[in-house]
Parts: sequence; structure tokens; C-alpha cells
Amino acid sequence: MNQKINRVIIVGGGTAGWLTAGVIAAEHCIGSQNSTQEDSFQLTLVESPDIATIGVGEGTWPSMRSTLQKMGIAETDFFRECSASFKQGTLFKGWRTGADDIYTHPFTAPQNYNEVNLAPHWQTAREQINFAQAVSPQSALFADKLAPKQISTPEYAFNVNYGYHLDAAKFAKFLRKHCVEKLGVTHIKANVTGINSADNGDIASIATDSHGNIEGDLFIDCSGSRALLLGDHFGIPVCSKSDILFNNTALAAQIPYTNEDDPIESCTLSTAQSAGWIWEIGLPTRRGVGHVYSSDHNTEERASEELLSYIASTVSEQAAAAATLRKVQFRPGHRAKFWHKNCVAIGMSAGFIEPLEASALVLVELSAAMIAEQLPANRGVMDLVAKRFNDKFLYRWDRIIEFLKLHYVLSQRRDTEYWRDNCEASSIPEQLTDLLALWRHQSPWHRDTNNADDMFPSASFQYVLYGMDFKTLPNQTQRRSERADQQRAGRLFQENAALTQQLKTSLPTNRDLINKIHTFGFQKI
Amino acid sequence: MSNYKILNNDVHKDLRVNTSRSAQLGDNIMYTMTFPMEFRDIQSCYPIFFCKDPESGQLYPAALLGFEQDQNLFLSDSGWDATYIPLMVRRHPFLIGFQADPDGSEAAIKPVVSIDSDNPRVIHSTGKDSDEGEALFNQDGTPSDFLQTSIGTLESIHRGLEHNKGFIAALLEYELLESFSLEITLNDGSNNQLKGFYTIAEEKLQSLDGDTLAKFNAQGYLQSIFMAIASFARLRPMIDKKNAQLA
Repeated sequence: MNQKINRVIIVGGGTAGWLTAGVIAAEHCIGSQNSTQEDSFQLTLVESPDIATIGVGEGTWPSMRSTLQKMGIAETDFFRECSASFKQGTLFKGWRTGADDIYTHPFTAPQNYNEVNLAPHWQTAREQINFAQAVSPQSALFADKLAPKQISTPEYAFNVNYGYHLDAAKFAKFLRKHCVEKLGVTHIKANVTGINSADNGDIASIATDSHGNIEGDLFIDCSGSRALLLGDHFGIPVCSKSDILFNNTALAAQIPYTNEDDPIESCTLSTAQSAGWIWEIGLPTRRGVGHVYSSDHNTEERASEELLSYIASTVSEQAAAAATLRKVQFRPGHRAKFWHKNCVAIGMSAGFIEPLEASALVLVELSAAMIAEQLPANRGVMDLVAKRFNDKFLYRWDRIIEFLKLHYVLSQRRDTEYWRDNCEASSIPEQLTDLLALWRHQSPWHRDTNNADDMFPSASFQYVLYGMDFKTLPNQTQRRSERADQQRAGRLFQENAALTQQLKTSLPTNRDLINKIHTFGFQKI
Repeated sequence: MSNYKILNNDVHKDLRVNTSRSAQLGDNIMYTMTFPMEFRDIQSCYPIFFCKDPESGQLYPAALLGFEQDQNLFLSDSGWDATYIPLMVRRHPFLIGFQADPDGSEAAIKPVVSIDSDNPRVIHSTGKDSDEGEALFNQDGTPSDFLQTSIGTLESIHRGLEHNKGFIAALLEYELLESFSLEITLNDGSNNQLKGFYTIAEEKLQSLDGDTLAKFNAQGYLQSIFMAIASFARLRPMIDKKNAQLA
């Protein structure tokens, strides 16, 4: 039980594996920790030379900026080598009525969000201006396909908050190079052929075809949805969430730009369909477009028709005709637990859900960060850390699922069975039902997300609720605090309008800034 | 807008250049690019900071002339009140051809002197009797002394730009630049905030090892670094100048 945890083995070399390796190696000095070689911390990633990575998650949260920065990555290199672009939020089309309705969920919180709740003050002006535009300049910026910063802004700094769109295959390669060359991660190319157990049921080593048995103290399962270690070996089951979130199939395509200098969207586009939605992600080199839908509500044929018709109308008939669709099936859900004995799953091995809020990569970041921070000192305390980890991530999965479901239950669409089924009370988690009842009378605010493990701040709930035309009734009583805030709110709305104008005239287009990053690079200062 | 044309002793034979200093002629600038080779002269008159080209984000050393946009405290009714005028100020209305020239792509290849014919300094004289400003060419078409001096200035700038690249790269490599903002309170109580400038990170400089210092010394960077630091002393006279204007 006093066995020190010095040898960490990651199984799987996709984005999840290399991102996990990078986050842990950025915190723990490999090879130089202690006086003797035997004691020193070692991180090894075992990657199959034969299995292609899925390349899930081409959109990140703003958290990726600090994740990359902590690893010692220059943002310029990341942009140049991963075909990265700026993401400032999501633009939703057709979710409310299925017609041309649009709303946005920007990454920047409403003005002075820590001090004033602008939502109740916006209610009186809701016919004149949509919520997101009234409280934050960001939606107007990505509507114009502008960048969130200038070339003179230092790396990772911003005018308005941002995350990234990236080429997942290039990103995994880029991280691998950095992890191996800069952070001292050992890279072994081998196929796992078996798992050798210790007396206590732990994994003692993994057997490989070309490198024999690889021993370790902690094994991180990044082997994708097969979950070689946590699933196949330990038999931890998947908790299906298909009763809440119906989407289980994706058709994906990569569409080139018509012209090299076509504008690049600086948000993710999400357009609702008859039984799912279509994503569009703009990279400098191509668009990533995909239709994620419920196979219980739609046929593959019809889903691909919808996708091709989307491509034809937003890009061109030729692009639609030339498109190759790749099909990915998944079971929406997550493992019953993520950390079992000396094995913890990160990435698709832990769970997978439709990419509606790009939760895949951020969960990898958060999981890896917790392991890096709380790496058990010895086997004796590992179970305690494992319990904390499981509690925290089960909580997080529940919140993600509720937040995704929120997008559906607020819809007024009843045109297909899919949308009608989505509003069936039996498909809605109880806590979400309760929150919606409460939000009829009070807008989401810091009190609604007071847990440090909450991934979506209350501001995100505000953007989705009011973007989807949800009505919060006025307070029953006259509130002194609200009267006091009223003037201030008016001033903030005006300031936001002024800031929006100022940023619209001073920020370059997304394409323009990305070109400049490739030519000049960002400064560190 | 600028309108650069390659200088030609036929087309431009009658052009003259006004060399006096005034806001009308475009001298009302808050700061200007400078080069280590002129730091010795610059630091005797102006504070040296570093700033970013908004188009590229690249850093360059700059001589500070004022505290706000379009303000040059060294300009007075009688001209430019300092013993040394920066190279980049003296170059107008000329440009050396292989600097970024938005109009002439072919000119970007070999070093040619261009002139901005829309620059307010350029006098488009019709007759030959005008003696306002400086002539560009002698009667026989050869460059005038004034033009030859200007070409010398352009050549210095060309070398200076190359030198700046190495100098800035070295400063960045050793993290010797840091951003700073300066709040200047004038006698009338008004505040001027200088933002977006960078300066030598002195703590980092003091912690450099001997080998690095020897390398910087051999490259000539060490002297430039200390001149930039010493130039801070020129801030006080600028504040005094501004206060005197307010009084």
C-alpha cells in the first residue's frame, strides 16, 4: 500500500492521450524529481501503430488557452501546426421554431456579470434587442466573422474571450512532438495484447506485441470508446443516456473553401434539423461539417440528404456533390465510474455525448488536470483520490447532460417526432425540470452555479434560456436592490453598445488575423 | 494618403522639398521608430521605449516625442527644438524602395529611392525661379547635396531596420522587454496615461550571466540596452515642457 506512484502509463495516442500526457507532464517533472533513477517520475504513452485516431472534438473551450500555456506551448506554433482558428462561441439556427430563428452563446459573460444581473433589466427591452447582443459585444463580432484580438495582442491574451477550432489529427501529432521533445514523455509504439493483474486486482502491467510487459503504478485508459482497460478488462459498464439525449450517429465531411481567402467563421454554427443538428466549424484550411442525429428518428439516407442540402445551400452545389461522408456511431453515455483500482479513463473511454457544447476536450483537460494536481502519493491513498475523482466527474457529466438537454426542451418545434419526444417529461432530468420551474420566477445567477465543479456558469444558462425566448416573470414584489441596479444596468447596456462599436471597427477579420499569425506570429509580451 | 513613386531625375526634376518642421508638415507625431545606431544621439534628447507595429505586432524601439496622439512636445513655432532629429523624421518625403511599398511590387526587389509626391513637404513648383525648400536635382540632373544626404539617411535606416531585427530578437529571447504603463500628472492636475509601450526589464537584465553579457557586448547590444535605460531621464524635461505650455 505504500507503493509510490511514480510510473504513469497512458494507453492510447489520440487527442485524449496526448493532451492528458501534456497536462500531467507540465506539472510533474519527468526524470528529475528525486535523487535516484528508480524514484523519479516517469510518464509513458503506449500508442498502437495500427489504430487510427477518431479525431473527436474539433472545438475547444477557452480553458484550452491556459492548458496549452501551462504546457509551455507557443500559441503561434499551435496555430501554424494545428490549422487552428478562433472560436468565440456558438450560433444556433432553427432551434427555436425551425424557421430562420437565430441565437448566440458567446464565451464572454454579460458586462460586469460578477456585480449586476442584467437579465431582469433586459426583460423590458427584449422586443428591441436580443439578450446576447444587449449584454456582450461578442455576438456582433462573430456575426461579422471578426477575430477576438489583434496581432499586437500578446499570445493567449484577448480583447474578448476565445477558444479554438482545430484539426484534431494535427493537434494529436503536435502534442506528441511537444510531449516527447520538450516534456520528457516516453513514447512507445506497440499494440496492447493483454493485461497482467496484480494480487490485489490492480493492473500490474500491460502486455504488448513489440515491447513486452510494460509495468506501471497508474494506468490511464485513453483507448477510445473500446475502453481496453476500464471497459474490456475491468468491465465497468456504460450508463446510457439515450433516454435523455437521443443523438447517436454522426455523418461528417470536410469541405474545402471555394476561394482561398473566403472568410472563416469565428464561432461554431449549429443548425437544427428534423432529427438532430448540423455543425459547421471553420478552419483556415477547410470547413468541418457534420450532421449528428438520432437513428431512432431518422434514416441515414435522409440524414445525409439533409447534410448535403445544407452544404449545397451554405457552400455550393459542387461542394455537396464532391463531399465524402464519414459515419460515426456512438452510444450517448458515460462509464458508471471512471477511476477503478489503479486505472482511470479519460476521453471517449470515459464517455461520449453529442458535441453540442464541445464538452469532449474540456473534459479531457479537467480530468488530466485533476490527476496532475492530485496524483496520489502512494497506492494507499489512491482509492481516496479515485472516489473524489468519480464523484466530481459523475457530477460534471450530469450537469453537461442537463445543459445539453436544456437546448432541446426550450424549443417550440413540434414538427417531427424527434422534437416532440425531446419535450416528453419522462426524457427530462428531474433537476432540470426543477430549475426550469424556478427560472420562471428568477433568472439564473451565481447562486445557481455555486459549486466549483460546475462547468457551465449561470451566464451560459442565461444565454441559452433567453436566446431560446424563455420568459422569466417579473418579481412579485418591488425589490429595492433591483431599483438600485436599474440605473447601473442602463449604463452597462450603453457601455456595451459603445464597446461593441469600438471593437467592430478595431478588430481584424478572423482570416486576416490567422494569416498574420502565420506571417508574423504573436509576441509573448 | 501616401503616393510613392520611384524617384526619377526627369519626372521629378522640378520638385523641391520643404525641410522646415511643423505640424502642418506632419511632424506632430507622438513617437517615432529609432535604431540602436542613433541611440547615443536619441538618448540625449528623448526617452527610448519599445512599441508594436499594429499591422504585424512586431516590436521596435521608439523615441517618445509626446504624451498623446499627434502631440510632439519638441515642436514649436520656430521649428523642432532639440539638438538631434531622429532619422525616421528626417527621411520624409522619401522611402527606400524595398521597404513595404503598397504601390510598387517590382520596387520591393532592389533598393531604390521613392518619393511620396502627396507628402505636404513636396513643393510642385511650376517655374524654375522658386527657391523655397531644397531642390532634388542640380541643373545637370545630378542629385543635389540635399538629396545625397537624404539618400544617406535612407541607407542608415535600411541598415537600422536590419539591426533592429537582431536587437529585438535578442531582447525577446532573454525576456528583457516588459510592458509598462506610465501615468503622468501635470501641474493642472490632468493625467496622461502612456499605454502600449514596453521597456527594458531591469531585473532580468541584472540576472543575466556573464556569457550572455559578453555576447551582448560583442554584438553591441549591451550599450544600446543601457542607453535605452538611461534615456528614461529625458522624461522629466518633457513633463517640464508640457507644464510650461500649460502655464
